[in-house]
Amino acid sequence: MKQTEENTQDQEDLRLLRESARTLFDRAGGNDRARKLRDAGGRWSAGMITELAGAGVFGVAVPDENGGLGMGLAAAGVLAEEVGRVIAPEPIVATIGLTIGLLHRLCPDHGMLKKAIGGETVLATAWQERGPTGVAPGRSCRFAGGKLTGAKAWVSGAVGVEGYLVVAEGDDGAVLTYVEAGAAGLNVDGRRQADGSALGELSFSATPAELLAEGAAVEAALADAVSDTTALAAAELVGLSGRAFEIVLDYIKTREQFDKPIGAFQVIQHRATDLHVMQEVAQATVREALSWMDCAGTDAQARARLASRAKARAGVAAKKITRDAVQMHGAVGYTDEFDIGLFLNRALVLSAWLGDDTYHRRLWLDARDKEGAER
Amino acid sequence: MTDWNAMTDEDFRREVHQFFESEYPEELRHLPHRPTFAEVEHWHRKLHAKGWVAPAWPAEYGGMGLSAAKLLIFYEEQQRWGVNRGRDMGVQMVGPLIIKFGTQTQKDYWLPRILSCEDIWCQGYSEPGAGSDLANLRTRAEIDGDDFVINGQKIWTTMAHDATHIFMLVRTDPDAPKKQQGISFILAPMDQPGVEVRTIRTLAGETEFCEVFFDGARTPRENLVGELNKGWTMAKALLSFERIFIGSPSLAQNALGQLESFARGRGAFNDPVFRDRFAQAALDVEDHAALYARYADQLKRGETLGADVSMLKIWVTECFQRITELMIEAAGPDGGTIGPLQVGNVSVDVLASFYKARPTTIYGGSNEIQRNILSKAVLGLPG
Ligand SMILES: Cc1cc2nc3c(=O)[nH]c(=O)nc-3n(C[C@H](O)[C@H](O)[C@H](O)COP(=O)(O)OP(=O)(O)OC[C@H]3O[C@@H](n4cnc5c(N)ncnc54)[C@H](O)[C@@H]3O)c2cc1C
Repeated sequence: MKQTEENTQDQEDLRLLRESARTLFDRAGGNDRARKLRDAGGRWSAGMITELAGAGVFGVAVPDENGGLGMGLAAAGVLAEEVGRVIAPEPIVATIGLTIGLLHRLCPDHGMLKKAIGGETVLATAWQERGPTGVAPGRSCRFAGGKLTGAKAWVSGAVGVEGYLVVAEGDDGAVLTYVEAGAAGLNVDGRRQADGSALGELSFSATPAELLAEGAAVEAALADAVSDTTALAAAELVGLSGRAFEIVLDYIKTREQFDKPIGAFQVIQHRATDLHVMQEVAQATVREALSWMDCAGTDAQARARLASRAKARAGVAAKKITRDAVQMHGAVGYTDEFDIGLFLNRALVLSAWLGDDTYHRRLWLDARDKEGAER
Repeated sequence: MTDWNAMTDEDFRREVHQFFESEYPEELRHLPHRPTFAEVEHWHRKLHAKGWVAPAWPAEYGGMGLSAAKLLIFYEEQQRWGVNRGRDMGVQMVGPLIIKFGTQTQKDYWLPRILSCEDIWCQGYSEPGAGSDLANLRTRAEIDGDDFVINGQKIWTTMAHDATHIFMLVRTDPDAPKKQQGISFILAPMDQPGVEVRTIRTLAGETEFCEVFFDGARTPRENLVGELNKGWTMAKALLSFERIFIGSPSLAQNALGQLESFARGRGAFNDPVFRDRFAQAALDVEDHAALYARYADQLKRGETLGADVSMLKIWVTECFQRITELMIEAAGPDGGTIGPLQVGNVSVDVLASFYKARPTTIYGGSNEIQRNILSKAVLGLPG
């Protein structure tokens, strides 16, 4: 019985959280804000970071004893969905999942965690490296004698931050280091993305860095943080496709051709219904995955599997929903003046980030095979 | 004049390929956007001098008069080398219509100017309230002395900001009992006070289509093609040219070539899943060409294409979209990145291809409309 009461209370907390996040984003201008920021050069708003921090957003999944709200990943997922609905350009998921995810696991007492939760500083996390045909399997960015040498790729939110958390290879395995944005020997190349944001390619040549953590814990924390972020990116996609679906549903009710709303044509009705089903499945999947990831008994491998499942499903749904939504808009859907294109573009970026659906289906099956073998 | 059709396929292919390879400007290969005429003018001059501007037109009008098989080879080589179509609405759309319905005077005047690109054309059909339901168009043309006076608005007019002329459907008899009656097909110059063009940005950030406003614009009455108030039937004939053109394998072939070199560079061919999906796409393209050849032959024999030509467009545009989606997949974490992606010594603009593929299922009669046509006119389903 107790369990059920707790669940109900949790659900109520999440509902309130969703409501307040939605109000905050809507007041700020919804997706119009994203369009304005994109047109102004693809930056995000520092004011929004402060406002979100004030609402406790960045610490939502951080344990209370480390200065967070301790509400878990499910709550972070609720926020990520709201971020997706308004395609907010701030690196919210990357901050919650990667930056804060690493800091609170590896150096909870470092002042940086408090500042990141408080929105006083925004950091980007650099962990992947580019190989000749895609993501490099190993790590060749080296940390030695207080200096970093090498390169990192696909750094979300890399342009405009105060500094970087960099996962590198130390003398005894992985290390987590911190590099200031203006550090000597650091070069940041922002590659423009479909939604106007930039993914950073970072290179270091004897760049001074602060050692934050080392040892086996770094590898473990990174794996967990990447799982979290992947699942949260899935939640962001679910929010995005949910809103895209609402937009197209409105459109097909109002656009008239052949003297009736196009939503009166059965093929349009069926297509809209299929998208709706797809959206509901994606939302249920992602929410379930997040809440299972919150369970104490879920080990790292199972968390990774759940995250992959969520990202695979959400990626498929968001791509299909935004593309079909453009199709059902006709030519106006292909313009920049209508909002639906913003959603299509953002879906492209979010789907590629941290691996698309094909990639995650493979990881999912690999993880499942492994767990099966262990069982 | 060379009789291309008398050559063997291999010889013809070699000849076409050699010309593109030696003459086509390197900087225009696989152009990711729709060019203005100024950007491709130097290439157009070469093509014109060679007599290759209109591969499908009969030789008597300055075309190459290619058979269906040769035409396919021409398009294949064009796409393989990444040769841009240039500003070809005149060649692909008005030209065939004038050849079919125009008077001798109209042919003599307009056709050479299309070939030389002295006139650059845009297509003024769609209006804000007349997209799929094209017959709902409201732009008026009234006879005033020797002229038509045009009032109204067109939209989605591709490259209207870089065109000298517009071919358009206008309402000439608002009192006709049916919407499809009372529509005429006219040609009009763009450079005049009563015509105003506003560009519209696409979601890819390009300015390739426009709104065109007509406020007392004029065009001589002799620019009516075909009979007054009979424009609808003719436009439908033109639409079947458009459909076979959009239904041609070229865009998908080009994308497939890009996918292949990109995926090789990315090592994607080591992956059995990718191999299968690539093979599917490649066969979708090849097998489509088999169907396409059937229609291209009909056209060559001078037969009118039936409603079933819609099949080509449905198949190839959706195939084109899948290919570009595979490119994004092969790009992995770079899949959201704007601009050319470098792999080895090739560079492929994955997003540009993706964006190009999206509207192909919307324009030229959306794929939903094509399916409606097929189910009623070909399958004979009720409703
Ligand atoms: C890139 C681009 C370039 C273009 N260039 C030109 C040009 O140069 N000149 C020109 O005149 N036009 C041009 N067009 C316009 C094009 O012809 C129209 O977009 C097309 O006819 C569809 O009309 P619409 O956009 O108003 O969509 P709508 O007709 O409003 O359709 C919206 C959606 O409803 C669906 N729908 C509509 N009716 C039905 C039905 N009966 N049954 C089932 N589904 C239905 C459509 O398939 C579509 O998915 C261009 C369009 C694009 C995207």
